[in-house]
Amino acid sequence: MSNYGTTRHHPAAPSAPKDRLTDYHTTLFRRLSWEGTVPLEIRVDPNELPANSDRGLECYFMQAPRVSYLPLLMPEIRRFLMDVVFDEAAAKVLKEEDWWFECDDGTLLKWHWPIGLIYDNHSILSTVRPGTALSGTMATPLRLILHLASPPTDKLLLSPSAEACKQAFMGQLKEADFIRWGNTKRITGLRKVDQDGLWEGIKEHNFDDYWRVASKVTPATAPNRPQSPGPPPSSVSMHGRPPSADAAGPSERDGAYNVRSVPVRLYLPDGPVIQDLVPPILDDGKSPFICDVSTDSSSGTPHTLSHLLSTHVPLLFPPRPPAPPPSRTNPHPHALSVPELAYPLIQGVLTPPESEMAWLGACLAGADGWLNICIGISRK
Amino acid sequence: MSETATSEATARPLPSWATADVPDINEDALKALETYKKRDPSKVVVRFKAVGNAPIMKQNFYKITASNRFQAVIQFLRKELGWKAGDPLFTYINLAFSPAPDDTVSNLFKSFCTDGHLIVNYSTTAAWG
Repeated sequence: MSNYGTTRHHPAAPSAPKDRLTDYHTTLFRRLSWEGTVPLEIRVDPNELPANSDRGLECYFMQAPRVSYLPLLMPEIRRFLMDVVFDEAAAKVLKEEDWWFECDDGTLLKWHWPIGLIYDNHSILSTVRPGTALSGTMATPLRLILHLASPPTDKLLLSPSAEACKQAFMGQLKEADFIRWGNTKRITGLRKVDQDGLWEGIKEHNFDDYWRVASKVTPATAPNRPQSPGPPPSSVSMHGRPPSADAAGPSERDGAYNVRSVPVRLYLPDGPVIQDLVPPILDDGKSPFICDVSTDSSSGTPHTLSHLLSTHVPLLFPPRPPAPPPSRTNPHPHALSVPELAYPLIQGVLTPPESEMAWLGACLAGADGWLNICIGISRK
Repeated sequence: MSETATSEATARPLPSWATADVPDINEDALKALETYKKRDPSKVVVRFKAVGNAPIMKQNFYKITASNRFQAVIQFLRKELGWKAGDPLFTYINLAFSPAPDDTVSNLFKSFCTDGHLIVNYSTTAAWG
């Protein structure tokens, strides 16, 4: 996986943008996130079903992409209801702009949250509600109730149109860009057709279309990682600089470990949402790259998920007590294990605490650029 | 199994063995959640700046409770400007982006404050949309 080799040795790779070679693992995890879907069960509020509806079929099941949004699912849901459930005359008087969703536990569903976040946020909520099935929560459909009238507009905040959702999405994308770089030049610098292309990619659920543009604004996991071997000593003298310096130039400056901060939000069951600056490298003066002279720019250790959690929600993720000093009888002591109170879910996946925030931000963020971490509560 | 059968099955209450009378949730975790749910009573300074043709406010510094949502800031601004429902108003942070209306003032302040203020730009037309 030597992706930091220069392109001139690989003329057969014309599709790679000139300054950005996305490595295999980054693409893999981006694709896995993109292809993730969640099961939804959509049922029209039985009290609101119009006369002559087919009551036996008022429930619709679908697998929705995590990166999609409710307004984008509406055409499919509407088609089902119009074709199968509603009587033709009744369907004519229904106004789609009055439709809104609620979870079966009474939570309103926001139009502008990604489906995957809605699902995960609901699944962590179920970890603090007694009586909810524990095993298999991940495969359980999220049960939604579709109301056909009287939307609580003040609580839904945004109108249900796809256009309003797109504007909210662009806002999130720019906010993420601002968090990373202190400005929104990368997004505003995109041509209109490219900006629209991001949204079209989500709408059509097309990974390639979305990432063709998104790779210009999302930081790559830089090749300049501790694992990167330095250039072989013999190559240095040839042209005065090692060949690897060519590839490392632009892509490293835009790299995930060089952002000012990673766009992250922490979701606790039933609120609140915590957002703070999350630098990719902790300014702790420790260099983890002891043997690697090529990484002298790094003056700290990578910010890990475990560090983020133990600093922002320490009551749920108490710092682990240090291991006792080694002794003759116990030369490799382990820290005392403490019962786990909570666990982090990213894209519905239980995430290892040693994961680095910069990597998570580059590989597991949602399509809007945000890394959403949902905190579930462990059972005894 | 038909879709109807599934929905009927799930609508029924769970069997007794599945509902715990005393939930097996760690008390410490629940206490921790309660702590984090407490609203932050502190206030932050929000500074409103008009963009384009938007009317300038006589007073443009306000202390706003940090736990408020940005939506509350928008509503406050509309009231101060005497805007009627439906009158267009676009709000931005740092001349750069529109935050989600459900984000809190506290979160926005932590990430975007400038010289101790959260700068909110407002405009009657989409400026950086």
